Amino acid sequence: MSINHNKIRPVYINLFQIKLPVSAISSITHRLAGVYIFFITLPLSLYLLYFSTKSYNDFMILKNNLSNSFFLSTFVTFSFLVYAYHILTGVRHLLQDLHIGESLSASKVSSYLVFCLWLLLALFAFSRLYL
Amino acid sequence: MIGSTLFYVQRFSAVYLLAYTFWISAFLITNNPLEYKTWTVFTNQIDFLVLTSIAAFVSIIHAFIGLWTIGTDYFTSRTLGFLSMSFAKYADVIRGTYTFFFSLLGLSITTIILLIIWS
Repeated sequence: MSINHNKIRPVYINLFQIKLPVSAISSITHRLAGVYIFFITLPLSLYLLYFSTKSYNDFMILKNNLSNSFFLSTFVTFSFLVYAYHILTGVRHLLQDLHIGESLSASKVSSYLVFCLWLLLALFAFSRLYL
Repeated sequence: MIGSTLFYVQRFSAVYLLAYTFWISAFLITNNPLEYKTWTVFTNQIDFLVLTSIAAFVSIIHAFIGLWTIGTDYFTSRTLGFLSMSFAKYADVIRGTYTFFFSLLGLSITTIILLIIWS
């Protein structure tokens, strides 16, 4: 047993030098998306639900704001895309809990698949919004 | 509460919210562009009121377990110690404040959802 053995372990961990595998990136972004949904998308949905059901006038004002305000429409679209991302990565996690696609290679493939699906969805949403 | 209960509650609530989201999305897609009348008829029907009330509780339980897990993973003296040692001393206080704050927000969100849809 070497006494020096303990001295070479890292005592300072630089988070920017740690390279996460792609499945770990999918997992941590799922968490981040969850936090975003709770603090932003959920209160935003309450705002939308409240004004869209309050009265005909409020409904039309909201509808106009959504089609005329660049900031509001982008913000709403982005917030629901984050929700869609949380759902996609979440379904991947649920399938893995059922022992579907648990192997290292399947996990890599499904991570990239989820990223691609979400990018397609984001492209579709933003093209509908701006074009 | 034991860990496996939390695990199952987190998964089953996820499945409920997934089904609920599909249901709302299907309505919004088939009724695009949305008119005030169809929207208020939809949000005043008993299906919407009951399923949304359940979703209001389920989503907050789901969020609580998720945010609590994040708190116990990252707001500990060990993880905060990587940022600064003075932070690490207050890890329990920081985590407690965070838990209190998001619990309060969660309860308000559930209350507001119920007030909006049932009034």
